[in-house]
Amino acid sequence: MGKLRPGHIIETAFWLLLAAFLYVESSAFNKSIEIYKFGAAGWPRALIILMALAALGQLLYQYYAGDESTGSLGAATDDGSEDAAREAGHASLRWYLSTLWLLVIPFIYMRLPDVLAMAMTLDKTGVHVVKLITAPVTLVLYLATMRGNHVGGMLALPIFFAAILEDMGFYAMAPLFIIGVTLLMGERRPQWIALTIALIMGVLLMMFVSILYVGLPTGNISPFYDFSNWLVTVLQ
Amino acid sequence: MDAYTNFLNGTVALFSDPMGILIFFGGVVGGMLFGAIPGVSMLTLAAILLPFTAHLSAEHGIMLFSVIYCTGVYGGAITAILFNIPGAPENAPTAFDGYPMTKNGQAGKAVGAAVMCSAIGGTVSAVIMMIATAPIANWAISAFGPPEIFALVFFGLAVAATVGAKTLWKGWLSVLIGLMIAVVGMDPVGGIPRYDFGMPYLLAGIHFIPTILGFFAVSEIFVQAEKKATGSYKAPKLSVNFPSLAELLAHKFAVIRSIFIGFFCGILPGIGATLAAFMGYNEAVRWSKDKKAFGKGKLEGVISSETANNAATGAAMIPLLALGLPGGALTAMMVGVFQMHDMEPGPLVFLNSPDLVWVVFAAMFFANLSILLVGFLETKTIINLLKIPFQFLAPLILLLATVGAYAVRGLVIDVVVMFIAGVAGFFLRRSGYSVAGIVLGLILGKIGEQTFAQAMQMLHFEWTGFFGRPIAGVLIVAGFLTLASSVYSAFFKKQA
Repeated sequence: MGKLRPGHIIETAFWLLLAAFLYVESSAFNKSIEIYKFGAAGWPRALIILMALAALGQLLYQYYAGDESTGSLGAATDDGSEDAAREAGHASLRWYLSTLWLLVIPFIYMRLPDVLAMAMTLDKTGVHVVKLITAPVTLVLYLATMRGNHVGGMLALPIFFAAILEDMGFYAMAPLFIIGVTLLMGERRPQWIALTIALIMGVLLMMFVSILYVGLPTGNISPFYDFSNWLVTVLQ
Repeated sequence: MDAYTNFLNGTVALFSDPMGILIFFGGVVGGMLFGAIPGVSMLTLAAILLPFTAHLSAEHGIMLFSVIYCTGVYGGAITAILFNIPGAPENAPTAFDGYPMTKNGQAGKAVGAAVMCSAIGGTVSAVIMMIATAPIANWAISAFGPPEIFALVFFGLAVAATVGAKTLWKGWLSVLIGLMIAVVGMDPVGGIPRYDFGMPYLLAGIHFIPTILGFFAVSEIFVQAEKKATGSYKAPKLSVNFPSLAELLAHKFAVIRSIFIGFFCGILPGIGATLAAFMGYNEAVRWSKDKKAFGKGKLEGVISSETANNAATGAAMIPLLALGLPGGALTAMMVGVFQMHDMEPGPLVFLNSPDLVWVVFAAMFFANLSILLVGFLETKTIINLLKIPFQFLAPLILLLATVGAYAVRGLVIDVVVMFIAGVAGFFLRRSGYSVAGIVLGLILGKIGEQTFAQAMQMLHFEWTGFFGRPIAGVLIVAGFLTLASSVYSAFFKKQA
């Protein structure tokens, strides 16, 4: 095994599986072009082969050298994140599975209402009701999982925020997002969190809504939509 | 008109426009501040600002980025010296002696040397850039066709893959990820959809702004969040007492040597300031009579590294403006600014938009000079701003990034893509991959495939045709030699 760790083999397997997947998928557009004999798939397939070769080269290198950097330039780019992860036990299978589940939760919110709407042939109002029920349910799922995995929670929170932006809007959700991020970063003093919300929202709304007139997501579900529109009217 | 007259015209245009002045000083302070805040960098600021440059004129947008580039490279030295956290890889050698100086109670001396030398290196580099870029661009118009541009992209990517990541292989994989992201969407020859998985959003390709925001700004927050969770996040300590002029004059040869090294490294696409700083530092050690003092707090180490990395900033603009090829992550974002204004950087910019070029040149010259002024006057103030705890900065950066990603096209899916890129960037970074390599691949991928297709059609699909064209042939051979030598040194030097 040389200096190989199981993580090195998993890393190589990931790249090789990704390369295989992309190669198979490239057959969907492997069409000839009259003036260009390599066709639409020639360039991506060449890159995929290089990707597989680089992954195998990496495995071979790790066999001889383990986790060592190549040269001082490689060492200089090490920002300590790898060591921080290992020290905190954020490189275990349990941590990865918990994080994966946290990252899946926002996509449950994005897909489930549409699937239910199709199955139950719901109208627009019905879909909105399903979304209003799905949002707190997925939030509870998220909170229950992230209790033992704050870093995973930090990774999933912005995706969750982005997932609900379309329906509930930036204006109503951003303060909750600020609370979530500051809590996950370790801040516990309510007055400081309140001050952060006031300052950040003040700066953002003043700069983008009042001065630059940048249209931010207003949401499409009442009462969030109504609140957003009221706020924009007041600010502009 | 000669370069001097053009420079004067550019200066007048820059300082007679109130909006231009505002953007200039915003860029100077912003670049310095973001360069100096541990956990974020000038690239974070540039990524956040990128979407909003659509609201600015092309002139103001490019000028803002070039100013951030100059002052951000200096700003990264502050964190390297005070906390042993280089703001960017090009500041890493600064930490070798800068941080020991801080521990020896000489932080002010090291910061002062960084201020002086960054300003000198950057200003001289800006002057050479003004003189050299236009002749190179004129030559490039006749000498550079698709085979040469493809060959230069190939060479640039070959070199970029060897720096920036923890290992050579991870550098290659990083660049290849970027190249594969660039493949999504229509192919450049036949317009055939690729990897769209039936989603209309992917038909137009993955937009580079949410991707860049995700890989730089968002992943940075995630990395710092993990460091906070593990207790390895370091809060700033403050102390500034600048060195005397005599102390700096004693190292004049180190400054001159580093300017040359920095400029010649900076001009090569894909390498830029990082190699410049390392070579500047290495040469300082090689030429010194007191080699053992390096790494223990020697002022010359800071001087050499900081002169060289800022000397690379002006040089890096030469391939961007003369050939349309970015040399690093920030110049790659500048390509994005050009594209948002329906422009392509390259030799024709000199013909079509000379005003833009000279305002940018003048701004870079004065930005480097302002490092001297703002650096001495405001560094203490800026360092005080570092007291803002990261838990309050993080939501602001994430929300600014959200607004930035959404503002590009008014699509929430762009925000989702940005955060997914952020998560991907987080996992890739902590596994030793290079997000700068990914972004270079993403930006150069489209240019590379397009020029490759054009070149092959021109050369009647004969690979050997590249070697019938001297510039293309030399660049292709140089690219292969770079790859071969890096593989050789990775394996055989390791086993020796």
